[in-house]
Amino acid sequence: MQFQAAFERFAAFIGGECAFFGAYSALVRYILPVLAAVILIRCFQSMRTGEQEFECWGYLSLPNGARVPLRHWENTVGRSKSADVHLEYPTLSRSHAAVIRDDTGAWFVFDLRSKGGVFVNGRKVEGSRQIKNGDILSLGGVELAFIAVTPKEAKEEETALSPAPRAWVTLVFLTLFQALLGFQLCVAAGAALEFGVVLSFLALMAMTWLSYLLVRLMRRTAFEVETVAFFLSTLGAAVTATSVPSDALRQTGILALGVFAYFLLGFFLRDLGRAVRMRRVVAAGGLLLLAVNVLAGTSLFGAKNWLSIGGFSFQPSEFVKIAFVFAGAATMDRLFARRNLYLFVAFAGACVGALALMGDFGTALVFFVAYLVIAFMRSGDLTAVALSVGGAAAAGFLAMSIKPHIAQRFATWRHAWDTPFGAGYQQTRAMSAAASGGLFGLGAGAGWLKSVFAANTDLVFAMLCEELGFLMAALAIFALLLLVFYTVHFSGAARSSFYVIAASAACAIFLIQVLLNAFGSVDLLPFTGVTFPFVSKGGSSLVASWGLLAFIKSCDTRKNASFALRAQKRYLKSEARHVPEAMEDEPVWDGGEDTYDEDDDAFDFDPGAFDDDFPEE
Amino acid sequence: MKRVSRRTTALFALVWAIVLCLLIFFTQLAVKGERWALFSANGNIYAGGALLAGTLLDRSGEILNEPGVGGARLYSDSREIRTATLHAVGDAQGNIGTGALKVYAPKLAGYSLISGVYPRKGENVYLSIDAQLCRAAYKALSGRKGAVVVANYRTGEIYCMVSSPSFDPLNVPDLESEKYEGAYINRAISSAYTPGSVFKLVTLAAAIENIPDLFERTFTCDGGVTIGSDYVKCTGRHGAISIEDALAVSCNSAFAELSLELGAETLERYAKQLGLTESVSIDSIKTASGQFEKAGEGSADLAWSGIGQYRDTVCPAAMLRFMMAIANGGKAADLTLLRRSGIKALLPPPDKRILSAETAEKMSVLLSYNVYKSYGEANFPGLELYAKTGTAEVGGGKQPHAWFAGYITNEDCPFAFAVVVENGGSGRSAAGAVANAVLQEAVRRYGNK
Repeated sequence: MQFQAAFERFAAFIGGECAFFGAYSALVRYILPVLAAVILIRCFQSMRTGEQEFECWGYLSLPNGARVPLRHWENTVGRSKSADVHLEYPTLSRSHAAVIRDDTGAWFVFDLRSKGGVFVNGRKVEGSRQIKNGDILSLGGVELAFIAVTPKEAKEEETALSPAPRAWVTLVFLTLFQALLGFQLCVAAGAALEFGVVLSFLALMAMTWLSYLLVRLMRRTAFEVETVAFFLSTLGAAVTATSVPSDALRQTGILALGVFAYFLLGFFLRDLGRAVRMRRVVAAGGLLLLAVNVLAGTSLFGAKNWLSIGGFSFQPSEFVKIAFVFAGAATMDRLFARRNLYLFVAFAGACVGALALMGDFGTALVFFVAYLVIAFMRSGDLTAVALSVGGAAAAGFLAMSIKPHIAQRFATWRHAWDTPFGAGYQQTRAMSAAASGGLFGLGAGAGWLKSVFAANTDLVFAMLCEELGFLMAALAIFALLLLVFYTVHFSGAARSSFYVIAASAACAIFLIQVLLNAFGSVDLLPFTGVTFPFVSKGGSSLVASWGLLAFIKSCDTRKNASFALRAQKRYLKSEARHVPEAMEDEPVWDGGEDTYDEDDDAFDFDPGAFDDDFPEE
Repeated sequence: MKRVSRRTTALFALVWAIVLCLLIFFTQLAVKGERWALFSANGNIYAGGALLAGTLLDRSGEILNEPGVGGARLYSDSREIRTATLHAVGDAQGNIGTGALKVYAPKLAGYSLISGVYPRKGENVYLSIDAQLCRAAYKALSGRKGAVVVANYRTGEIYCMVSSPSFDPLNVPDLESEKYEGAYINRAISSAYTPGSVFKLVTLAAAIENIPDLFERTFTCDGGVTIGSDYVKCTGRHGAISIEDALAVSCNSAFAELSLELGAETLERYAKQLGLTESVSIDSIKTASGQFEKAGEGSADLAWSGIGQYRDTVCPAAMLRFMMAIANGGKAADLTLLRRSGIKALLPPPDKRILSAETAEKMSVLLSYNVYKSYGEANFPGLELYAKTGTAEVGGGKQPHAWFAGYITNEDCPFAFAVVVENGGSGRSAAGAVANAVLQEAVRRYGNK
């Protein structure tokens, strides 16, 4: 009760006439974008200074005595410059062989349909074969000795590492940003201030530091992507606090759920073998969820993409995004097997089809773009991707002829001002509000657009422009671009293509959503009503965004940086204790449930196609 | 791995799309942001279609219109000023399309690309009009339909712009009645009237520049001229008459002769050059354009067109601008409804030469002579007046439109004016009296300080 009374006194004080509040509101408009820029620049520097630090998991010893490090779990060997182990021997094929490690520490060599063939200790390899320390590989007559890295060597390398990035300084800036923004919202609400808003911002600040603490407890140092996500989530919290203050606390609760999902998924991804094995289960679960949605879904605001269970409504398609990324990612040995790709194509088709059935064409488009990126990552085949786009365009036209409201959206596109009280209602108001904010905004909580339908979800970009200014809205977009930079920057040193493909797919989902949300609301693109990752109000979307973030985190191989990867030292230690006895008979690659059969005609990997995606000669 | 890693660059396609869209959006914001922000549904600065921000003041700082509590806008406390300045200020519903509330809404809202409409208090916009002068003008019109415009011919600022009928925006009468016919039209800038004899100044300007012996000539007036089967009637039988006297008594015979001599082509060229047939700009407002139709050479219609009848029409604001040019040595300052202040006031006002200095000088002598000879200086006490009347026949058994246009050169009163009284009868007595009332008020307020 005493607490209640104290808060009421605070609200009355905030609502009172005070010159300080006026000056505060006027000034904080300029401070917030500067702080945001500082936070993002610090994150960017932290990502950049952590240069791609290649791990070393083994060596190939050349005839001349030189040792070439194996920097990934999946390495190609060949004459091509883009081979991970690039050897200039005329008898080698461009992509001759792959040397791949699974998560138990067992190594295998794959013959990539080389001309000269692959021999291990003189025995020809058909398809693949396990190798162990000291084995002699003969590729097209070139003799290479395989040497696995010992824990001692790994440890020595670890002592020569760059110091940990000082993430906590950036977090101090972020906390200041959150505090200033939260207080501005209090001032704007005045006497009508709700306790939940105050509490939600305090909880947000606490959650930011607790997450950092958790990462430190896991003896990890990097916190850039989390900082970026918390920055965006703070903007989301402001959007909720201004549009539906009574939901502020609930939204922060959902954020906690999202952060929990992030850590859970990240932890799950640590074990590549487990993650790979779970792919089909997760994919099936995703399909099941969509099927239930199609059959039992409820229609809220046009599309039938909601599912209500026990009074709790959520959008299954948001969670299926995570399943989609899981299903799309693959380790390199699977990239050789086309059958896997066909399975994924079927899965993607089912997802997009289900969404089209629900009438949620925005999300269908998001899945389709994620599919394109995954397909390109896996095959490197631009032609196939181009064909997919053509096919999708035809499907889109078909959809427009069947579903008139889709055609309507396209008719309104670029013509919103022709029907400001009809089909262009939301877009024209979004543009008007965005222009009202100028570069620095009218101040958090001081906007008007929030009274327009779906302002805090579909029109959230315009809401950011209106209340926090164009600069902040642009910074929100740049924050997401930082995640892309992170992915592209660190994927070069990633352990497995599984992580790289998953991170890229997650980025693609974020990017296409931002593109459609931000520029659909201001009539540059068709208005599809997808969410702005982390910022749009809503439970499913926020949790899914944090979930997808875990994939991005998993491609960071800086030493002790990402909690989503197990430290190399620990891997090697545990393996040293129980190294599997190397089998003398025909070994079998068991990195996953796809057992590798020598006469499996699914192995129609075409080294030529693999070679030519980045022509460099 | 290297190959798969490199394929992450595919994401750049999306990144570039986003960056490109962001650039396009910002460009649009820079180009169209003002229009977007001033969308009347924008709840940040509008409520029920009325601007929530910005105060409209007259040149002396008298508040004409300001945002009130809860969205409705407040007009002046004085009913007379509300009525007299209605057309300059505009009505709440925006029916008066040229009202300042609409035209200067971006200024009132205080929009800028950098701060948007923050802090939503808008800005003070000082109009160039003088509310008291407008009140005097509206009073002088005393319920008759018509328009009065007065402007400073040195700066282009409009000091008085009144259109009648007008009404009190706080007590809107039944606008369907005949009394309020066309009450939403600002007659000063959105109407064009048959000019009658005021148009003789166009013919005069053409004659001065094209007929070398104009001032040596003697015209003969027998009470009219027969042209073919038609007869151009004069206002009297003036006998042998010089150009000076012909203008002073507004002799139709003399000007019919000049018109035929100059030809339709030349007259049209002058009407256009003097800005009477085309739309004139007042800031972003476009005035109604006038009309001069070329009649057949040697025809009575041509004669009539040269004396402001036939199908001639002129907008009062355009006539005002013509007078400003004569007063200002041939250069017409650009008309504006915004008070010139700050750095702008120190710079020379933008203008356009529409007459040679020589012609303007010659015309000013004749305009002064008009007053001395015909209009009676006693009717305009204390005014150094240069003017021309017009009594435009409109047919249909109606009284002619009364025009009075010119300027004064009293100290600190560089004012040009144009007055039209619809169906007011004689130009001198009807429009002249209105002009006198307004100019006396102007001299009282601005002269001999």
